[in-house]
Amino acid sequence: MVLSEKRMMQDALVNGPLGVYLSGEESGERTLVVVFLRGGADALSLVAPVFEDAYYRARPRLGIKSEAAIALDERFSIPRRMAPLERLFRDGELTVLHAVGSEEDSRSHFEAQDFMEHGGLEAGGWLGRFLRYREGRSGGPLSAVAFGTRAPECLRGAPGTTVIESLAEFAVPEGMQSLLEGLGKLYGLDPVVLGPRGEQTLRALRSLATLAENRDAPPKNGVVYGDDAFSRSLAQAARLIRSGLGVEAITVDLHGWDSHLTQETLIEPLMEHLASGLAAFRRDLGERMATTSVVVMSEFGRRLRENSAFGTDHGRAGCMFVLGGGTPGGGKVIAEWPGLEDDQLEAPGDLRVTTNYRDVLWSVLGRHGKCDPERVFPGHALRPAAV
Amino acid sequence: MNRGRRRFLQTGAGFASLLSAGCGRSQWLEALRLPAAPKLGPFTVPDGEKIDDVAHALNRCSFGPGPLEYSQVRTRSQEPREAAELWIEEQIEAQQDDRYADIQWRRRFEIVQQDPVGQFFEFRPEHILDDLLGSTLLRAIASRRQLNEVMVHFWTDHFNIDSSKGDCRWLVGWDHREVVRKHALGRFRDLVRGSALSPAMLWYLDGRVNQAGDPNEKPNENYARELLELHTLGVHGGYSQRDVMEVARALSGWIVRERGQAWRRLGEPEFRPERHDDGAKEVLAQVLPAGGGKQDLERVLDIVCEHPSTARYIAWKLCRWFIADEPPAEATESVAAAFSRSGGDIRETLRAVFQCTAFWDQRGNKFKRPFHFVVSAVRGLGVTGNPAPSLVDHLRRMGHVPFQYPTPDGYPAEAAPWMESLLWRWRFAYALANGEVKGAEFDLERLTEYAGGREKLTASLLGRRAGAGEAAVLGELDFKVEAVLASPAFQWF
Repeated sequence: MVLSEKRMMQDALVNGPLGVYLSGEESGERTLVVVFLRGGADALSLVAPVFEDAYYRARPRLGIKSEAAIALDERFSIPRRMAPLERLFRDGELTVLHAVGSEEDSRSHFEAQDFMEHGGLEAGGWLGRFLRYREGRSGGPLSAVAFGTRAPECLRGAPGTTVIESLAEFAVPEGMQSLLEGLGKLYGLDPVVLGPRGEQTLRALRSLATLAENRDAPPKNGVVYGDDAFSRSLAQAARLIRSGLGVEAITVDLHGWDSHLTQETLIEPLMEHLASGLAAFRRDLGERMATTSVVVMSEFGRRLRENSAFGTDHGRAGCMFVLGGGTPGGGKVIAEWPGLEDDQLEAPGDLRVTTNYRDVLWSVLGRHGKCDPERVFPGHALRPAAV
Repeated sequence: MNRGRRRFLQTGAGFASLLSAGCGRSQWLEALRLPAAPKLGPFTVPDGEKIDDVAHALNRCSFGPGPLEYSQVRTRSQEPREAAELWIEEQIEAQQDDRYADIQWRRRFEIVQQDPVGQFFEFRPEHILDDLLGSTLLRAIASRRQLNEVMVHFWTDHFNIDSSKGDCRWLVGWDHREVVRKHALGRFRDLVRGSALSPAMLWYLDGRVNQAGDPNEKPNENYARELLELHTLGVHGGYSQRDVMEVARALSGWIVRERGQAWRRLGEPEFRPERHDDGAKEVLAQVLPAGGGKQDLERVLDIVCEHPSTARYIAWKLCRWFIADEPPAEATESVAAAFSRSGGDIRETLRAVFQCTAFWDQRGNKFKRPFHFVVSAVRGLGVTGNPAPSLVDHLRRMGHVPFQYPTPDGYPAEAAPWMESLLWRWRFAYALANGEVKGAEFDLERLTEYAGGREKLTASLLGRRAGAGEAAVLGELDFKVEAVLASPAFQWF
C-alpha cells in the first residue's frame, strides 16, 4: 500500500470514535435499551383506564379494580403487581404512554411485529438504521447487543449485532490468553494501520473477560434482581452498560403476553417481572441512568371486551413506557385518549391508535444522537411526542 | 417430505410449533453438507518473501486458496505469471459444472431452487433466508468456479436487496438465482434488465407502486433514481433530476402479482398499461416517443447501459474491488474502454482488469471484508462438513450477513468501515482452529504434515513466507493456526 494511503487511514483511526469508546472512561456514551413485550400485551390491564365506565362494562371479570390498583393520575392506574414502577413514576423518571401503536391493522403477531420493528414496509430495522446512519456513529464490535437466541428485526442493518444469552459467552478461553499476547506483538509490527486497532481490540477483549468473570457478582446499590429470565437479562445489561465497551443499544424480549384465555394467570407474573426488573435495573445503574433510556413496547394491545375464556383477543392500540433521566414527560401519562364507548372504538371493538409509536421512539432517539429522520422512519411525518 | 417447510402444514397451531421445532436447523445442517474435499496429499506452498503471482491471482480471483490450489495452479506453467494468467482465463471461461455429483449437491438447496417464483410463498421466510445464506456460503467455500462466486458477491452488493423489506422475504432467493447468479459473468444489460423486472427489486425499490396512468399521479422515483445513481451511471454520471423523473415515468406500470390479490402467477412481474404513463419522454437527451408502452423499459435500458458514464462507473467499481480502494485512473480508463467496446460483456471487462499493470503491482493492499475473511479461513484449512449456520452467527457479529444490508448501496467495499470487526475475527480464528465452529471438519495434523510443517502451512495461508518480525512472534506461538488467521497479514489480500 502507498504510504499516503496509510496516512489517511491512520488519521481516520486517530480521529475516529473507536479510541474514545474503548477507553472505558468518560466516554460519554449513551445506551438505549429496547424491551419488546412479545405477543401483544394487554395495555388495558398494564395501564388501566379506571375512570371509564365502559371499561368495567366490557370487562366485568378482568377489569383492574381501582381499589386494587395504584393511581398514576385521575384517569389511569397500574395494577398492584406493578407497584415497583410507582416510585419511578413519582420521581419523574418514568413516562407512560397510552393509545399508542402503528397503522398496521392485520392484528397478526408476525405482521404487526415486523411492521413495527422495521418502521413500516421498510428494509432493515429502525434501530439498526439509526445505529448505522446516525452522525458520528461508532459501530464498535459491541455497539448492539441482543439478549436471546436471535437478533430482533429492529436491529436488522445495524453495523454488527452480538446475540448472547449470557455474559458467560464473552469469557476468553484459557488457551486464548497466550494468543492475545502474541497478537498484541504482531499488530504492533504494523504501527500505522492495524496496530492501534489491535491494541484497542486487546483492551476490549480483556474487559469482556472481566465482565464474564464477574457476571455473578452482586449488582450495585444493594439491588436484588428477581430470578426470572427477564430480570437476569437486565442485570447483565446493566453490567454491559457500565463496562464502557461502547454498547449503544441493547434489546431484551419478554415473551408470553398472548393472553387469549385465563389472562390473569398468564400475565400477572409477567407484569411483576417487568416492573420489578425495570425498578432493579434503574437502581442498579445509579448515575449511569442519566445516559441510559429504556423503551418498553409491544406489537399491539388487546380487544376491550373480554372473551368467554377469561382472556382477551388481538386488538389495536397499546401502551409504551419510557424510562430515563431528564425526560420532560416523566411522571405523566401521555394519552390522547380516544374513549371506550362503542362509537369511539375501532371495529371490531379495539382501542384506537392516537399516537404513532414512531413519534415516541423518535423523541427517545433524540437523546442518543442525531440522525436524518428519513433514514430511521422513512415516509413518516413526525409529530414528536413530549417524552 | 421436503423438510416440512410447506406453509400449509404449519397452519394448525400446536402441530405447527412441533413441526417447526422438529424440522429446524438440524435438518438444514444435514442437507447443506459441503461436498467431500479432494483427497489431500503433500502440497507445495508459496516460498517468496512477497506474495507471488500465483498467490496473488488466487487471492483476488477466489475467496482465498484451498490447501491444494496453489500447487495445482503452479503446474500450469514454469513461469508463475503465465500460470496465474492461464488459471485466471480458465476462471473467466468456466461454465457451470454439470457433473452428476455437482447437480446433486446443488439440489440440496431445495428452497432456493423453487420455480416458478410463486412457489417461494409456500415456505416460511426464515427458511428461505436460511437456505439462501447456506447455499451462498457453501458455494463461496466449495465452488470450483471461484471467480464466478466472487462476481456473484460483487453484484449482490451492486444490486443490493434487503430481504427484510415486504415480500422480498420470499422473493430474494429468486432474484439471487435468476438475476445475480445467472448473469454474474454474462452481459451487463441482461443483469440490469433482470434486476429491473425482478419481483424482489420491484418490491425493494418500490417499482411495483410506480404508477402514472393519469396526469394527477406522481410516479414513484425510488427505483429510477437508484438505477441511475447506483446501478448504471453513478452519482456523478451526469444525469439530472429531470432524467430521474423521466425514467420513473418510462418505467411506470410494472407491478408484482401479490399475495391475497393473485393466485395464478403469484410473485411474477406484470405490465399494466393503465398504470403506465404513455406520453413522450426524454431521458439523457434521447427521446422516447409517445405510445412506447412496455417497450419504454427496453429503451431506457439501452440508453443507460450504453452511456459512457456507466462504463466508467462499473469500471471504477471493478477496479476498486480487484485492485485498490482508490484505483489508479489509467486502470479505470482501460477497463471502461473494454466495457464499452464489448457492449458490456462482463467477461471481456474482467479480462481488461486483469491485464492492468496496477492489478499485478498492488498486492496484499485490500482489506478482507468479514465474509471474505471467514470464507478464506475455512477454505485455507480445507474444511468440510456443514459449517454454514455457525458461520452466519459469526458473520452477524461482524456485521456482514449477506442479504441484510438495509440501503440500496450494498455493503461497503473499502477497508475503513470493516476495521471495527477485529475482535470478532480473533474470536473466530480461535474458535475455528480449536474445533469450536460447529460443523467445520478438518484434520489440522494431516494438513500440517502435507504442507511440510507449521511454517509452510503459514505460507500457504498468507501467500508468502512470514517476514522476519512476524516469524519471530509466530514462532513464540508455535505457528499456531489461530495466530496466523488472526494476524494482520491474513486480514489483507
